[in-house]
Amino acid sequence: MARSSVSPSRTWPTDGWTVADEILALDGICAGYLGEDVVHDVSVTIAEGEAVAVIGSNGAGKTSLFRAVCGLLATSSGRVRFGGADITGSKVHRIARAGLAYVPAERQLFPEMSVRDNLFLGSYPQRPDPERLELVFGLFPRLAERKRQHAGTMSGGEQQMLAVGRSLMTNPRLLMLDEPTTGLAPKLAAEAYAALAELRSHGLTVLVAEQNVPLALGLAERGYVLENGRIQLAGTSAELVGNPDVRRAYLGVS
Amino acid sequence: MKAAIFDGIVLGLQYGLLGVGLTLVFGLAGVLNLAHGQLAVLAAIIAALTIDAGSSAGVAALVGILCAAVIGLLLDRTLMQPVYRLRGESRVLLGLLLMLGVAFVIDGFLEWRYPIEALSLRIGGDPVPILGVNMRVGSLWASGIALAAGAALLFFFRGTTTGRAVRSVIQNEEGAQLCGINPAFVRGLIFALSGALAGLVAITRSMTSPVTVTEGITLTTLALIVAVVGGLGSVSGAFLAGILLGIVDRVSSFYIGTYITTIFLLAAAAITIVVRPAGLLAPRR
Amino acid sequence: MTATTARRAPGRLSLFRAYLPIAVTAAVLALPPLRYHESRTLMGVLVTGLVFACYAIAFNIIFGSTGQLFLCIGALAGVGGFASVILSDEVGIPMLVSMVLATALAALVGGLLSWIAVSRSLDVIFTGIVTLAFSLAFSSLLLGRRDLTGGESGLRVQAGADTFLGDRVPPYYAFLAVVVAYLVIYRVLQRSHIGWAFRALRDDEMAAELSGVDVRWYRVEAGVIGSAMLGFAGALYAHSEGFIGPSTYAFGRVDIRVIVMLAFGGIGSLLGPVVGAAVFTWLDEWLVSFIELRVLLYGAIIVVLFLGFRRGVVPTVHAAFRRLGSRRGGAGTSGSTTQARAP
Repeated sequence: MARSSVSPSRTWPTDGWTVADEILALDGICAGYLGEDVVHDVSVTIAEGEAVAVIGSNGAGKTSLFRAVCGLLATSSGRVRFGGADITGSKVHRIARAGLAYVPAERQLFPEMSVRDNLFLGSYPQRPDPERLELVFGLFPRLAERKRQHAGTMSGGEQQMLAVGRSLMTNPRLLMLDEPTTGLAPKLAAEAYAALAELRSHGLTVLVAEQNVPLALGLAERGYVLENGRIQLAGTSAELVGNPDVRRAYLGVS
Repeated sequence: MKAAIFDGIVLGLQYGLLGVGLTLVFGLAGVLNLAHGQLAVLAAIIAALTIDAGSSAGVAALVGILCAAVIGLLLDRTLMQPVYRLRGESRVLLGLLLMLGVAFVIDGFLEWRYPIEALSLRIGGDPVPILGVNMRVGSLWASGIALAAGAALLFFFRGTTTGRAVRSVIQNEEGAQLCGINPAFVRGLIFALSGALAGLVAITRSMTSPVTVTEGITLTTLALIVAVVGGLGSVSGAFLAGILLGIVDRVSSFYIGTYITTIFLLAAAAITIVVRPAGLLAPRR
Repeated sequence: MTATTARRAPGRLSLFRAYLPIAVTAAVLALPPLRYHESRTLMGVLVTGLVFACYAIAFNIIFGSTGQLFLCIGALAGVGGFASVILSDEVGIPMLVSMVLATALAALVGGLLSWIAVSRSLDVIFTGIVTLAFSLAFSSLLLGRRDLTGGESGLRVQAGADTFLGDRVPPYYAFLAVVVAYLVIYRVLQRSHIGWAFRALRDDEMAAELSGVDVRWYRVEAGVIGSAMLGFAGALYAHSEGFIGPSTYAFGRVDIRVIVMLAFGGIGSLLGPVVGAAVFTWLDEWLVSFIELRVLLYGAIIVVLFLGFRRGVVPTVHAAFRRLGSRRGGAGTSGSTTQARAP
């Protein structure tokens, strides 16, 4: 995958104290709704090319955290750094154009537009890059078969693929996925993660929020465990899989 | 009867444009622009004043349309900003009431300052026979312009990147943002386009009969009826509904009477809402 | 040091405190005729003010309490007015009976509109459009059925002209009685199941539904009661004015004013309608020489009100008093509870 030609430093000034290779850094993020925070003091660092998982059960705050990062939710305190530039409080579309792609759990597709049009809009404002389109169709052959089908009429699995495909069309440096396997049959879920693994080989950084821990830690090298809006644990996948609390809570092992 | 139907089509094309302007803003911003008709009248009066000042009709028309577009954009950038910060019912209510206020401001201003101004663009020439009915040149021009505008809109929304971006914001604003589309920009664009369409309707209407300052409410009501019957938010629905209601309007006025016709049209809107709120002529979703 | 105060449900005032404001208002409003009884025109203006207060209280019940955007206030009053006049003048029914019948008709129409809105789950916009359509259709009907309604020129009302309604001062007190009665009705409704239902609906719709009661149907009740109030006020106005025409109950004359009055006074407050009616009746008189500017001004006031002053006078005053009270070390709670909704 070609490197992004839009460098964030053109839009925002870098502040000079970034970690080498760091692509995303969250520093003390607090965010919530109607004055009450659901995410408390979350700090995370992700290096370029990594795959990192955020694990937690329902209501742990994963979605709120991701929405805070990509600008859909206002932070009450803390800073977000992407590609060396401070993007805290920036508008959603500007963050998207800077190379931070977010695939929400609800997917947010355009139901009355075809698969093709949905994908084309991903590369707005540029015209779609045929190479990237090929890549997407290569990863998700089922989308190629349904180019003209309206997104609203597709199955859950196909919609998920389309959502990921559309976000790939935005030419991202970092891909954030919120529970990509919700409602997917195990086979489709495994296929989705296989696609993500292949994308990583192209240099894409992946941050995924998941309840399905085995899949997530199978893809990711590192993980954070989020509970009640706070980071309880952090470590490599091996460490997390071996941790007795994690095994009890998320892997069903007593 | 044929004459009434042809007249109805001419009228209907303008009704369609009128409805499209209203439905666009509603579909995109969730705001019911009750000042739409007043914007049209404002464009007409500005054009009339420009003609009074010595310009040609063409230039005056452009000036009128441009002013309406600019005012539409201004409304979006100023009054509508607090509306966009709200969600759901509060947003709809505030938008509706603010636009109602704007409607009265424009109406009141025009009635106060230019109570007797009117726009009338006479286009010379003998009536042209079409399929056995003598059509006035003005009617043909008006219809032609309306059709051209409709075609241009179709091309814009289906064939251009920006048009697709607009549709995407209508269908899923969050999804559009995630694609790098700026909803605020799109809203401004559509408000300006809606204003321009209102102005265009005023211009084409003035080719068949004079547009006076008192017509604002009538035009807003018509736009509302057409947009509702066509399905709020559906551009193609509004166009079709416009043509249909235009025909109904002429035929009913001719055979039954004007007051009853008004009641018919209003009933059409009410019945649509009660029976099939998505719009009688909206594409099935 | 707080003495133990009797625990009441939050916001539930004692009977005395609930109705005291109404009594005070009645006393205050009883005064103006003592000063202005000489001038027939001025009394007419004051009566109009009271009529609009009635309309505004009814709108407060329909919209302020149960959230139904009825853009047909004038039309419903017009149903009452024209029906009563036609029944008493054309058909010969005694005036009082006509008024009752007209009120019932208005209640029926309004209730029907409510029922349609509730059974089809119409949201604010669609309710607004349907009621607006009704209002405009009613105007067309008035103009079209010239034989019945006098069309453009209107009707001279005979019934009631020879009663006390035709005099200078008595109509004022008649309408004052109606205003007081309407305020009482509002208060009673607020403290009743309708008030509870709407507060429940507003606070948490799902919980209200889950509690097993379909609270939406209380909207129909409110619609019927409010429409009856509009119809009665419209009918009484017709008989006291002596003349009604297409503009008497038109959207541009009634609905706009009522919306502005209520918004200014405070939607959902008890005395908001009265305060709003008082202020704007005075303003109208002050602007009587600038008749063209009035429309412009009303439009501008709507914009300004809804942009910046959405709460209205009465709630703002209330809040100010409450702040004063808590600053003096009272036991009252200050601030509002924030509701955290799950994402």
